[in-house]
Amino acid sequence: MPEIFINGRAIMAEDGQTVLEAARAHGIFIPYFCWHPSLSIAGNCRICVVEVEDPKGGGWMEIACNMPVAPGMRVNTDSEPVRARRKQTMELITLNHPVDCGVCDKAGECMLQDHHYAYNGAPSASRDPKVAATKFYPLSERITLDNERCIMCSRCVRFTREVSHSNGLGIESRGDHSLIRPSGDGAFGRDAYSDNVVDLCPVGALLSKSFQYKSRVWYLKPTPSVCPGCERGCTVQIWHRRAEWKLHRLDAKANASIDRVTPLENAAVNGPWICNKGRDLAQTFGRARAERPMLKGRPATAAEAIENARRLVAAARKPVALVSSWGSNEELAAFKAALGGRVTALVKTDCRPEPGEVVADALLIRADKNPNTAGARALFGIAPAVVPADADLVLVWGEGADFGAIPAGAKIVFLNAWLAPENGHADVFLPLSIQTERAGHYTNFAGTIGAFEACFARPAHALDAAAVFAALAGQTEVVA
Amino acid sequence: MPGAQLIMNFPVTATSHLLADYRARGGYETLRRVLTSMTPTEVTKEVTASGLLGHGGAAFPVGRKWAVVKLDDGQPHYLCANADEGEPGTFKDRWVLEHAPHLLIESMLIASYALQVRNAFVYIRGEFDLPYRRLEAAIEEAYAAGLLGERVVGTDFACDLVIYRGAGSYVCGEASGLITSIEGRKPYPRNRPPRLTVRGLYQRPTVINNVETLANVAGIIANGAEAFRKVGTAKSPGTQLVSISGHLVRPGVYEVEYGYPLAKFIYEDCGGVPGGLAVKCIVPGGISTKVLTGPELAPLTYDHASFAGAGSSLGSGGMIVIGDGTCMVRLLQVALRFYHHESCGQCTPCREGMGWMHRIIDRIVAGDGRPEDIDRLVAISRANDGTTICGMGDAAGYATIGIIDKFRDEFEYWIEHKRSKCDGVLEVGHA
Amino acid sequence: MKHLIPEFEQWKKRYPAGFESSLVLPCLRRIQDDRGYVADSDIEELVAYLGVARIQVEEVLSYYTQLRRHPIGRWHVQACRNVTCSMRGAERVVDHLSKRLGVAPGGTTPDGRFTLTVVECLGSCGTAPVVMVNDAYHENMSTERLDALIEGLD
Repeated sequence: MPEIFINGRAIMAEDGQTVLEAARAHGIFIPYFCWHPSLSIAGNCRICVVEVEDPKGGGWMEIACNMPVAPGMRVNTDSEPVRARRKQTMELITLNHPVDCGVCDKAGECMLQDHHYAYNGAPSASRDPKVAATKFYPLSERITLDNERCIMCSRCVRFTREVSHSNGLGIESRGDHSLIRPSGDGAFGRDAYSDNVVDLCPVGALLSKSFQYKSRVWYLKPTPSVCPGCERGCTVQIWHRRAEWKLHRLDAKANASIDRVTPLENAAVNGPWICNKGRDLAQTFGRARAERPMLKGRPATAAEAIENARRLVAAARKPVALVSSWGSNEELAAFKAALGGRVTALVKTDCRPEPGEVVADALLIRADKNPNTAGARALFGIAPAVVPADADLVLVWGEGADFGAIPAGAKIVFLNAWLAPENGHADVFLPLSIQTERAGHYTNFAGTIGAFEACFARPAHALDAAAVFAALAGQTEVVA
Repeated sequence: MPGAQLIMNFPVTATSHLLADYRARGGYETLRRVLTSMTPTEVTKEVTASGLLGHGGAAFPVGRKWAVVKLDDGQPHYLCANADEGEPGTFKDRWVLEHAPHLLIESMLIASYALQVRNAFVYIRGEFDLPYRRLEAAIEEAYAAGLLGERVVGTDFACDLVIYRGAGSYVCGEASGLITSIEGRKPYPRNRPPRLTVRGLYQRPTVINNVETLANVAGIIANGAEAFRKVGTAKSPGTQLVSISGHLVRPGVYEVEYGYPLAKFIYEDCGGVPGGLAVKCIVPGGISTKVLTGPELAPLTYDHASFAGAGSSLGSGGMIVIGDGTCMVRLLQVALRFYHHESCGQCTPCREGMGWMHRIIDRIVAGDGRPEDIDRLVAISRANDGTTICGMGDAAGYATIGIIDKFRDEFEYWIEHKRSKCDGVLEVGHA
Repeated sequence: MKHLIPEFEQWKKRYPAGFESSLVLPCLRRIQDDRGYVADSDIEELVAYLGVARIQVEEVLSYYTQLRRHPIGRWHVQACRNVTCSMRGAERVVDHLSKRLGVAPGGTTPDGRFTLTVVECLGSCGTAPVVMVNDAYHENMSTERLDALIEGLD
């Protein structure tokens, strides 16, 4: 455990740490662009330069990200020479950087903006034209690249080499006409983690096509959530319009939609990454909703439908439930409390891998495409979701049930959020809320519990599943 | 002859590069003696005692570099001869490859023995054709004669030598760029730590030495460190192969004993500037060194300390003589165009700085310069000094600062009058 | 590229185990010597043969000045324009070649015989100005020697 001195302060560093890591661990900020805790050291941006004192007098400047700590080392991160060097480095990094801030998605969360104002702030010292390069080069169908904005930090390249292993990106040519380019075999387009480079990029060079020009980031608020795409349960941030910055539009949906999804760093589950499926949660949660309760396809009021369902459940001699693996731990507990005594509950696999979707890999993606199989099985066991032949009532909660396998004479009470043809075939149909309209928890495949918060208000038509279960058990009145 | 000759010490004939001729000069006897009666450590000790310095430009003590490699650490070690020779003005390693390839091979075998290297490489720039063919032929002769391969000179020592050809890139002359090139990847230089002698080629301990540096090894072991130290000066033992060119009557490769008077070398041995013109300045050791004016070079001797005292360095041994009347602004323009072309683009100061400097000087030459441009060139040079991953940033800085320091008036003139003070002339002294 | 594999297999033997990646550069040079340039199909086949990432080969091809992905003229006339050559008449050499061949630096003659490029230091400053044609160095090039050189190329 070497003791080093940063700005005169004694720090107990750890063996094998770099000066940058030791400083970070003790709350001392040294700026960087190319360094990232989950990637190899590139040492190319040169902004993390610090001053190292020579015991014999004087000193030298060296990048902190690649400098191993040595006992007794004395480092200055904020001396006059360091500041002068940082200003110079910022001058060079921004030399050919186009001042696109007014039209660049990254504004407001851009490391270059932040470091420019902190360490330079002056206009360009050059009176020569900036080097022009390709704007909006399509790296894939999802990601666009503005080569002029790129500062060649190589984070994106290292990501595809070291984390996603697609080797989908590289740097072609040389000098100040170097260009990030995708490999010619389309590997980047097939990289299921490609969108992480947008988060990694310290400037507005790598952009998500689906988010491009959608909104200024300061109009949005990130709500912590859990991706339901598979049983990994990566924690995410769902970005949506802040109330005080709501859009004045006729369509209320504009203020209740997901603008983008980014990872919520989680050392226990997904680290700093998510897969592309998690990025597309706007599509996942934006599917057409079931909005009306129905009795055999005929629209009914919620009160009418719930009362109908309650009577069916009460009258059934062998009621069976196919429980949703998208139910939250809270909803599942409510089901158990209300109906668990009377109804035989089997855990259903709501979603299966789609054609073309990565089934499982060595990084994050798991084959079970449901967020809470583990939570459901913990309460209801692992018996397969096969409805016994003598069931006379089947309560189907969530999608994915094989209605053809339900015994012919059985009554069906169907609770589902999504619009589907089966909704009209059930004896009673009740429309439910979705994850973004409530708070709750999922348990992932390894038993780690992830929390999600509500992003949007529950729409009037969407019923709260826990309340419905209580009502079906005759415990409460109807809720809307 | 500028002093003692240790390498260019035989007449060059149509066959002097062949194995038979080399053997007739005593070639490979030293190797036999090393393999049968010396330990690897003894070899390194002798090289260290000789004080041999690197001849690629950095002048690092060779024995000290070799000593970092831990023998018997159970992992492969590699030796690479740097024959990339891309520093403008330099063409002396080529002499060794064309005329004394077996000297290099024998020296590399001795070095490989000292460093426990099983696989050695010669990295040769892609453009060199004759030097490559000569070396390739020499290696084939060596294998056929049992001097390379499984049982070198019939002993247990095994060593293979492979020529790796570059494909056009100045930064492959930088040691870490060189080995990254040998790895089959784009030759981005590497940050240190780790030193290459700890983690180099494929992350194994690797020694990279300049061709001429290695070529000295056989002689040092043959005649002993003391004999080597008797040549040259105390701080710069031995000799330097100097490639000298430019406005000169007798350009070429000369072996100069360290300590030899510089003026004598340029004016007598090489004939001075054609037409009897004065020397305006010299580029001492490849354009990445600071120029020395005619008056400045007069009292100097050819050795590290003398040149350092004059604020410059011996560099790669590529001396360029510039005659009176040459436009130094245009000369710097050629140099900056070169550095801009060769920047690999990996790190910020060089990638952005080289292009910036090139654009500025192009603008000055086009008649659109501003007074502040001169200080800007110096500032960018300083911003590249000690801040980059490899020495190329520093190199461009030395070239620029050196020329501006000594010839600022020419830059000021061009900016003010929108034309060269010397009529834009680069060719002087011959028809 | 497949017909070159037997040669590549011989080269593999000269390198230590685990050095497959190193073969990228020599193989590309050999492919280019054979075809005149490196085609997309060559890249695919080389990647499959060596087991390296495609992007590595593409980066290498884009970086080195001697490698190309498009055909050029039969004779690649490369004139050095660096320091000593410039001091010994390189600009006149380039001008003369350009006029004589009827093509600007970077271009190829319409009959496909000559491509003219300007290059950096070739390591032959003692015999400047220097012109490289395909693999060979031509040193001490005066206008007369340039004319004789061009005349000798078919």
